[in-house]
Amino acid sequence: MFSSIEDVIERFAKNNYIASRRIATVIYLASEMRKPILVEGPAGVGKTDLAKVLAASLGFDMIRLQCYEGLDEGKALYEWEYAKQLLYTQILKDKISEVLVGAKGLTEAVDRIAAQDEVFFSERFVLPRPLLKAISSEQPSVLLIDEIDKADAEFEAFLLELLSDFQVTVPELGTLKAKHIPLVVLTSNNAREMSDALKRRCLHLYIDFPDRTQELAIVKLKVPEAAQKLAEEVVTVVQSLRKLDLKKTPGISETLDWVKALTLLNVQSLDQELVSETLDTIVKYEGDVRKAQEELKDYVRRVRARRGTEAGSDKDLLN
Amino acid sequence: MQDKLVEFANLLRENGVRVSLAETLDAFSASQITGLAERDAFRAALRSTMVKRSTELPVFEELFDIYFSGLGEIIKQASEAVQNALSMSDQEFQKFLDEVEKMLKKQGKDLSELAKQLLQNNSGEMERKIREASRAVKLQGIERTIEENYFARALARALGLDKIEAEIKELREQLEKMDIGSELKAKMEEYLERRLKALDDIIRRYVRMEREKRDIKQKEDQRLNQIGEKSFYYLTEEELKKMNEAVTRLAQRLKNVITVRRKRAKKGRFDIKRTLRQNLEYGGVPFKLRFEKRKKEKPQVVILCDVSDSVRNASRFMLQFVYSLQDLYSRVRSFIFVADIGEVTECFRNNDSKEALDVALKGDIINVYAHSNFGYAFRNFVSDHIGSVNKRTTVIVLGDARNNYNLPHDWCLREIRQRAKKVIWLNPESRNTWGFGDSEMDRYGPHCDLVEECRNLNQLYRVIDRLVAG
Repeated sequence: MFSSIEDVIERFAKNNYIASRRIATVIYLASEMRKPILVEGPAGVGKTDLAKVLAASLGFDMIRLQCYEGLDEGKALYEWEYAKQLLYTQILKDKISEVLVGAKGLTEAVDRIAAQDEVFFSERFVLPRPLLKAISSEQPSVLLIDEIDKADAEFEAFLLELLSDFQVTVPELGTLKAKHIPLVVLTSNNAREMSDALKRRCLHLYIDFPDRTQELAIVKLKVPEAAQKLAEEVVTVVQSLRKLDLKKTPGISETLDWVKALTLLNVQSLDQELVSETLDTIVKYEGDVRKAQEELKDYVRRVRARRGTEAGSDKDLLN
Repeated sequence: MQDKLVEFANLLRENGVRVSLAETLDAFSASQITGLAERDAFRAALRSTMVKRSTELPVFEELFDIYFSGLGEIIKQASEAVQNALSMSDQEFQKFLDEVEKMLKKQGKDLSELAKQLLQNNSGEMERKIREASRAVKLQGIERTIEENYFARALARALGLDKIEAEIKELREQLEKMDIGSELKAKMEEYLERRLKALDDIIRRYVRMEREKRDIKQKEDQRLNQIGEKSFYYLTEEELKKMNEAVTRLAQRLKNVITVRRKRAKKGRFDIKRTLRQNLEYGGVPFKLRFEKRKKEKPQVVILCDVSDSVRNASRFMLQFVYSLQDLYSRVRSFIFVADIGEVTECFRNNDSKEALDVALKGDIINVYAHSNFGYAFRNFVSDHIGSVNKRTTVIVLGDARNNYNLPHDWCLREIRQRAKKVIWLNPESRNTWGFGDSEMDRYGPHCDLVEECRNLNQLYRVIDRLVAG
């Protein structure tokens, strides 16, 4: 576990994640208080990454549950492997007949089979899904429940029980209690408001888009091979794009993609043509592309004007 | 600390943030982990435990600043003001304070505690004292500006301000007799006077701040309410902007309610085919049952929006609503009309709201400067676009039904209604005026399933509620 807030920042940095003090504090609190974290924020600000890095920096396993509409207990918690059970009964047909040898009447036969119940309803035939895996894991783990807002309200209610007690009851096996209480990270894109009950159990963390310096630091960390000038220009452009009213605002991941793409193309500094050619790495909708292009034209013009005046002043000096 | 957190939680609640008891407890244990020394960590601890909605974050930030730095900040500012008035640097001031302390010792007179702290610039203790006193006079109950004076006086009394005044006066008299340099004496004198004033100042500002704490949300609420009741015809630019936000939220709400209803009835009849297929892997033993998925009935909406001059303001706003709806649903077709009728579905789909509205109202699609002619518009709709209406379609007409004495052609509306699931007419005019002058509302009304007056945001809210419920 972490020893202090600084420790969190340091270890996250080692794993290539720049955690602001605010984020680090919440992480530290969660690990101390053993409470789940509910992370909210726009798409592409590193919510899912946060969980991954948390696991990596603690050396824990990460177990991930991706939510979607219609996700149910069977997919999230555990399922009986019917096919395997069936297969075993087929193979063991002879053995089963042996058990039944000499049974008088149906009642006795059923009783004998019933005595063998636990063979078929043992952990051997349980197919553990992420939640059960997290609970029964021998190692301490980080459980990431991704995009919880996509799941139904019923699933959320079911999750409540799990998050408060960290135990699961499988009727045939009894109650399984977590050996290590996992660190839970829930992420949400705010497609739907979470219930108050769930929110009450969690620490809330809202991650917004980073400011310019932060984003620049992130770019340098993740794409160290990018030219300094290029990184600066890209970050400036993306920051200004975020101010526009776009359908999908570019996140940090888009910034990184763009820098990577431009670096691959061996670009040192942005120009009009390149920008319009590679724009689709950051802006994903037709309408957005048009708007972004307008903005970028302005940007390039401004930069050129600035360069022009600089050159002009040089000449003045020469004269 | 506990008291302070509980009070802060109360304050958050008063300002509309829902904080439960369990969350307050969490906040307490979290703040013990982070400690109080480091402000940012403490702030993050409270934020993550007490505020669970991102929309409530700004309220929290504001209140945190007021509450946890408020008094300390005021005291600090007051002492800085004194320092500036004496025009001393930090070092000089510190030296000066030492002098003051020496003088106080020489006096050998017992001052009251607060006076001592005040003169020695001991802000932490002063803060504690003032907080204590404010609890004694129940300052937390302050609500109105008018009460500020009363509470300021009460607080001063509780702190024993008159006693301190007397003490400082005495000090000044003694200072006269003392044998120290005249320059220092003058400085000392000024210091005493300014300090006394500073205390008074602190009290007043503290009282005002306490009142403001309780005010933030109230003001916001009031303003939104006022907008809600104001007729569309009289909105200012600023209000229009606010209104747009409200409308977008409204449309979102409409969508949320509809989605919830759709989900509730998700499972349909038993599906034999899929059950058999799914269970083939178990040798045909039906372990897993499959049900038909109900077809999601996507709401189909056709909107006819009057954009003539007589309803200019209202229609702008209505179009905004139409735009938000279209953004949320895939099957909305939007038409605008004055006398001609034209479809704006595509135009809304491809532009952002402001552009779309501008295009719609500029007159490229239809002539918006003509005289309204509902009859003509309806007849054209029936002949050209009746295909867009089927038995699952809800038709919404937004308009004032002022037909300029043209032929009303109300049979067209009847025909639309026969094909549609529902016809709803929202009229931005007051109900009293319907049917007077050139208003044809009485003629059109009988052909609608629902006719509503929709002059302001609150009425629109009510209509939406009824739509969703019905």
